[in-house]
Amino acid sequence: MTESVGTENFVDIDQVKVGKELQASQRVNGVWPKLRVQHVSKSFQSKDRNFYVLEDINLEIQQGEFVCIVGPSGCGKTTLLNIVAGLEKADSGDVWADDHKINGAGTDRVVIFQEAALFPWLNVVKNVEFGLKLKGFNGKERRNIAIEYLKMVHLSKFQHAQVHELSGGMKQRVAIARALAMNPEMLLMDEPFSALDAQTRWILHYELQNIWLKTRKTILFVTHNIREAVCLADRIIILSTAPGKIKKEFLVELPRPRDDNDVNVAGYSTRIMKELKAEINKVMKCEMDADSCVECDIKCTTEGPAKTDIGGGI
Amino acid sequence: MQSILKRTMFYILFIGIWEGLFRLGIWPEYVLPSPVSVFKTLVHGFQNHTFLIGIAISMKRIAIGYGISIVVGIFLGLLIGRVRLFEETLGSFFTGLQTLPTICWLPLSLLWFGLNDRSIIFLVFMGAVLSITIATDAGVKSVPSLYIRAAKTMGAKGWKLYLEVIIPAALPHIITGMKQGWSFAWRSLMAGELLIVCLGLGHLMMIGRELNDMSQVIAVMIVIIIIGILVDRLFFVKVEQRIRERWGLVKG
Ligand SMILES: Nc1ncnc2c1ncn2[C@@H]1O[C@H](COP(=O)(O)OP(=O)(O)OP(=O)(O)O)[C@@H](O)[C@H]1O
Ligand SMILES: [Mg+2]
Repeated sequence: MTESVGTENFVDIDQVKVGKELQASQRVNGVWPKLRVQHVSKSFQSKDRNFYVLEDINLEIQQGEFVCIVGPSGCGKTTLLNIVAGLEKADSGDVWADDHKINGAGTDRVVIFQEAALFPWLNVVKNVEFGLKLKGFNGKERRNIAIEYLKMVHLSKFQHAQVHELSGGMKQRVAIARALAMNPEMLLMDEPFSALDAQTRWILHYELQNIWLKTRKTILFVTHNIREAVCLADRIIILSTAPGKIKKEFLVELPRPRDDNDVNVAGYSTRIMKELKAEINKVMKCEMDADSCVECDIKCTTEGPAKTDIGGGI
Repeated sequence: MQSILKRTMFYILFIGIWEGLFRLGIWPEYVLPSPVSVFKTLVHGFQNHTFLIGIAISMKRIAIGYGISIVVGIFLGLLIGRVRLFEETLGSFFTGLQTLPTICWLPLSLLWFGLNDRSIIFLVFMGAVLSITIATDAGVKSVPSLYIRAAKTMGAKGWKLYLEVIIPAALPHIITGMKQGWSFAWRSLMAGELLIVCLGLGHLMMIGRELNDMSQVIAVMIVIIIIGILVDRLFFVKVEQRIRERWGLVKG
């Protein structure tokens, strides 16, 4: 693919336009979007005042779409994902899955967390069976399904291993198998690969894309790594910080499976970076200027590495 | 190897001094019997089954009392650990109660149940239940919220969440509480059996006292020590270690 084609495919959606579209059409071809986030706001109480983490988030995800949410550390990505998952309540606004309003956690939206969250008292295959057991599958059925998904992440040999015997990357793959085994409508992934080394991450990016091509699940994937987002997503949503707002959207139209180190992926990342530079500078400046406040200073230094990560990708 | 040698030497020396003191004949036999006669009583006691029956009766009591205390203790621990109201009321109440030596429940137990088995079982129960409750409470509070959130997105709720996630996640704490509870229960069992005359190992010791048979008293003491070591060292310590390893609490 030449660079010019790549540039042509680089579609930049204006946030205002997205907002308008959302109000105009709720249904595309008579089908509900898989997920609709409408005017969601969320604040947390801190000492005497409450500060907004998310402000008027509007978002629509179609069946089978792979969407990445990107934003600096602390901008409210996890909070947004938790609200979609039903693990946290929004202050205002609604979240709809298909035609029903989300009210609490549900097995149609399974979350994969930053840490694998495998249960150490169960072995690998029993971890994968966990949700199936709750769904009422009998022993043999759920064992078969679990093995099938363990094969998909190439870990069927480790089915009887204990959790503490696995590496970080293997744990995360088991977590993916466990989520997929539930056959959910939607996968919600919260920086699932950020604790892994670059090489393992590279492998899992490849595997996740293949799984997605095979299953065509709707995926909402949170990351602060632009390169990762370009590598995985059909659509990238950029959140700004304090309060988290949807800043911009980008469509990525590159053939799959993509490679982190592919020239086009790198090119896209650089372009998005340029667009974001202004925003990041703004945030930096705002925080640096507030140096009279010690608390802000600490916040600045702790958030430092995350910003470099956005700059560098991997 | 070194330490086993040292330990063996110690016991040989210990028994040697004991035998030596006995041979000096300063004290009558009902004050200080010889190690040989203690050993003979021990063998004899097992041969004519009196020790075995004593052990069986004591074990049955502790099994019932301790068994009930596990169920009740875990249940109360879950309540205190998960429900704010119980935490604020029962929580501090139990911590206060735990400062009371278990044997202080004896008069109350006697009035409630009389001079019988049930009194002893109640003492055993009271000995273990608070430790298990408090440990379960601590365990429940230390369950990573990540496990609970993960389980919820996979459809766990209500009592299944407790059974499939919270209790297993709290198990390392619960086992530690059970281990401590066991040693308290074992002590209260012996105290109860010494004070309430109705068979069991403690009672065998009292028979020895009544017959001025010091070798029987010491022989039974040895049996009690050995059972204590077997259960604590060989069972609880091993299980605790295995669980902590598997739960990833120690770096293997
Ligand atoms: N339970 C809570 N109580 C108070 N403040 C909270 C709570 N949860 C999150 N916050 C605050 O909300 C903001 C957003 O948090 P969130 O975890 O959503 O960020 P994030 O974008 O996921 O960051 P990261 O990339 O570091 O994971 C942070 O400033 C955080 O301090
Ligand atoms: Mg986060």
